[in-house]
Amino acid sequence: MTAETQNSDSAAMRFEILRAAVKDGAAARVGRLAFAGRTPIDTPNFIGTTSRGALPHLTPDTVGKHLQVTGAYMALEDFIERPQQYLKRIPPIYSTPTTAKHHTRLHSFTAMPQSVTTVLSARRLPAVPSPMGNTNASVSVFTSTGFQILPTKEYLSAVQALEPDIAIPPADLTHSPITPNSKRALRMAERTDEWVVEWFSELADANSRISTFAPILPISYSIQWEYISRLAEDYLPTAQLSGLAIYDADLVPDLADHCAALLPLPRLSLANPPTPHHILRQIALGIDLFTLPFINTISDAGLALSFSFPPPDTSSSPTTNGSSSTRSLQPLAIDLSLPHHATAATTPLSPNCTCHACTAHHSAYVHHLLAAREMLGWTLLQIHNHAVVSAFFAGVRDALLQGDIKRFEEGARQFALAYEPEFPEGVGQKPRARGYQYKSVGDGEARRNKAAWGKLEGGEGEGEGAGEKGEKGV
Amino acid sequence: MASNRTFTSPALSFELVARCSVTRARASILTLPHGTVNLPIFMPVATQASLKGLTPEQLEGTGCKLCLNNTYHLGLKPGQEVLDAVGGAHKLQGWNRNILTDSGGFQMVSLLKLANITEEGVRFLSPHDGSPMLLTPEHSMSLQNSIGSDIMMQLDDVLVTTSPDKARMREAMERSVRWLDRCIAAHKKPETQNLFCIIQGGLDLDMRRECCREMLARDTPGIAIGGLSGGEAKDDFCKVVATCTELLPDLKPRYVMGIGYPEDLVVSVALGADMFDCVWPTRTARFGNAVTKHGVLNMKREMFAADFGPIEEGCGCPCCRPVEEEGAMGITRAFVHHNAAKETAAAHLLTLHNVWYQLDLMRQAREAIIADQFPPFVKDFFGNLYSEKSSYPPWAVDALKGVGIDLLET
Repeated sequence: MTAETQNSDSAAMRFEILRAAVKDGAAARVGRLAFAGRTPIDTPNFIGTTSRGALPHLTPDTVGKHLQVTGAYMALEDFIERPQQYLKRIPPIYSTPTTAKHHTRLHSFTAMPQSVTTVLSARRLPAVPSPMGNTNASVSVFTSTGFQILPTKEYLSAVQALEPDIAIPPADLTHSPITPNSKRALRMAERTDEWVVEWFSELADANSRISTFAPILPISYSIQWEYISRLAEDYLPTAQLSGLAIYDADLVPDLADHCAALLPLPRLSLANPPTPHHILRQIALGIDLFTLPFINTISDAGLALSFSFPPPDTSSSPTTNGSSSTRSLQPLAIDLSLPHHATAATTPLSPNCTCHACTAHHSAYVHHLLAAREMLGWTLLQIHNHAVVSAFFAGVRDALLQGDIKRFEEGARQFALAYEPEFPEGVGQKPRARGYQYKSVGDGEARRNKAAWGKLEGGEGEGEGAGEKGEKGV
Repeated sequence: MASNRTFTSPALSFELVARCSVTRARASILTLPHGTVNLPIFMPVATQASLKGLTPEQLEGTGCKLCLNNTYHLGLKPGQEVLDAVGGAHKLQGWNRNILTDSGGFQMVSLLKLANITEEGVRFLSPHDGSPMLLTPEHSMSLQNSIGSDIMMQLDDVLVTTSPDKARMREAMERSVRWLDRCIAAHKKPETQNLFCIIQGGLDLDMRRECCREMLARDTPGIAIGGLSGGEAKDDFCKVVATCTELLPDLKPRYVMGIGYPEDLVVSVALGADMFDCVWPTRTARFGNAVTKHGVLNMKREMFAADFGPIEEGCGCPCCRPVEEEGAMGITRAFVHHNAAKETAAAHLLTLHNVWYQLDLMRQAREAIIADQFPPFVKDFFGNLYSEKSSYPPWAVDALKGVGIDLLET
C-alpha cells in the first residue's frame, strides 16, 4: 500500500486521498471529502437517502442530534409535482428564501441540518421506470402527481437555484433491470454526452459552489468511452468536473485501465448495493461514497441491522479441522417483530450498539411499537440502522488505515463467512405506503400489508383492528 | 401560612401558588413521584406508550412533565406480563417523567359496542380473538400497578352524558362510587402511585353534587370530573365543571377528562380546573392541521405551498423558531405542506408544534394567574382566535360571565 496523497480540488470541494491500496489502478482507498461549511466526510462512507427532502420517519432535529450521517441524497422529482388544480404553478422550492445558516435553497426548504452535504439528482433512489422514456432534451420523472417531463434545461436551472453541494447531471437511464440493447446503450451514451456538454457550458460562468459529479452509465465501457474521454480531456483540466456518479461499480476497473486521469476524483456509487456484502465488494473496486436505499427499506420492515466490520471474532470455538463451515451464519439484521423480543426486556437493539435508540430505549420497546404500529418504532429503527452502517464504514476505514490492504481483504473474507448472504424478510406490518413512490408492477403483486378493514360478518370479530384506532375523542 | 396552601399525601403534594382575584382560576404546583408539575396543565396522550412519532426526548424538549398512557391499550399490547418483566411503563418507553393512566373503562365503552356492564365489571369481547373478557375494578388496579403510573384513575361506569335514561345514569353514578371503594381496596402501591376518583352523574347537576360528596368522603389525593366530552352541549359541559369545582376542596388537583380544544382549556381553567388531556392536538396534526393562536390551519391547503413563514409566527417550538437559534429547525409552512400526508416526518413536526402550543397555552395561563392578569389573558386569547366579537361562541361568553369575565365588554 502506498501512502501517497493525491488531491482533487475544486473551488468548493476538496477530496484528499489519505491512503490507497495501489498507486495506479482502482482499489479500496481511504479519503476525506470536504465541502465548505459542511462536516467533512471520511470515505469510504455512505450518505442518507431522502424521500421528499426528509430522511424517512426522521425530523431534522433528530437527524442533527442522533444520526452520524454527513450527507443526504435528494431527488428533484420529489419537489416539482404539478397538482391537477394548479398545473401552472412554479415549484415553491425554487423561491425559498435563504437564511444566514441555511444559505442554499435546498437546505432552507428541507430544513436539513446545515452540517449535512447535499447531493441532488433528477430521480429518486431507486427510481420508478417511466413508460414514456426520455427524449433528446428531457428526462421523464415520476412525481407525486404522476409522470412528468423534465427538460434538461429546467433541471439545470433548478440546480442553479437550489445549490446542492453535489449535483449529478442528467443521465439517459432506463431504470430497468433489463440490460439495454447495444443500440439503446449507444443512444444513452450519446444523449448523456450531449447533456453533460450542455451542463458544463451553462454552468461554466455560474455558481462555483456546486460540484458536479458526472454520471458513469451502467453500460459497457466500450460504448461510452467517447463520453468518458471527454470528461477527462475537457472538463477535468478546467476543474469543472469534481467527481463521478457511478451507476455500475464494475466499471471502475475499466476507468482505471483506460482513463487514469479520472482516478483522483471521488466516486459516488448509485448502484444500490442490496447488502453489506455488496458494499464490501464495491469498496474493494474503489468506491468512496455510497447511497444505500436499503437502510430505509430495512427499517420499514421492522428489522434492526446487526452486522459489524470486522465481524466479531467467533473463532474461539474449537474447530479441529480448521474449517469454518461448522459455524452457523449470523443474521445481517434482527427481526424485532418476532415474539421473543417482547420480553427480551431491556437489551439494546443489536449487541454493543451505542446509538440513541439502544441507549435511551431497548428492543422490548421497539417490539411493542412495531406490534402496536406506532410510528416511533420506525423512527428508532432508522436511528439505529443508520448508526450500524456508520460504524460498519468506520470499521472498514480503520482496517484500511491501520493495516495494509490485506487486513481489509481478510476482514471482508471473514465477513462473508460470518454473515448470512441476505437480509431476513421481516414479518412485521410495514408503515402505510404513501402511494406514488411504490409503483405497482402489474397483476399478481402481493399486498404490502394485510387489509386493515374487512367486511363485517356477524357479530364475531367485530373488534378486529378497533383497538389500534381507538382513542378518546372530543 | 404554608399549611393552608399545601396538601400532602403519601405519593403527592399539592401547593396552591396563586388564585385569580376575579375567576376561579388557580396556579399550583403538583409534586408527583417522577417530578414536579406546574398546574394548570395540558397532558398529551401517548396512548400506546408513544406520543405519535415523537421520541420521548423530543417530548421532554417541549417541557412536558406529565403525559397519558391508556390502560386498555397497554393491557392488550404489550400486556401485563411484559410490563412486569420490563418494570413498568416508564422503563418501557424510556420516560422518566410522570405518567397518568386512565382506567380502561372509557375505551371499553367507546370502542366496543358489545361491552356489557354489570356490578362485577365490564364484560367485553377481546379484540384479539373474540373471547369473552372481564375488566373489574380489581383488574384495572392490578394493570395500573403493573404500569406504575404516577396517577391512576379508578374504573368508573361511563355513560354518555346525553343519555336520557335517568335511572341508568343514577345506577352508573352510584356504581362508580362502589367501584372506587373496590379500587381503593385493591390498590397495592398507595405510597408510590396516586389513585384519583372520577365524578360521574351526567348532566344532572344534583346528581353531580351528590357524587362529589360521596367521592370526597373517600379522600383520594386528586379528583377527576368524568363522563364529559361525549357530545354534550358546551353550555352543559361548563355547568357541570362549574358545579363540581364549587364543591371541590382547594388543595387537591382537579382533572377534567378528555378536554383539549384551546377554548375549552381556557374556559375550564377559569372555572377552576387544573388538568386536561385530549388526543385532538396530536390527532389533528396527523391530518395536517396546525393549532395556532389564530385558529387551526390546514397545512395541506394550496395557500401554504409557497408560504415560507414558520407554522406560527412567534411560536417558541423547535419547528417554528428560526434555524439560527439553538435547538431550532426553522421549519416553513411550505415544507410541512410539501410532506403533509406524504412523509411521516411532517406529521411528527406538526405533532411537536401542536403539543408545544397546548403546553405553552397553559404556561401562559399560569403566568397570567400568578400575575393576577388572568381576565385580560382570556380576553386576548379570544381576541386572537376570532376576528370579531360577534363570532365568539355564546357558551364561552356565558360561562366566563358566570365567573366574572365579560368578553363582550368594550
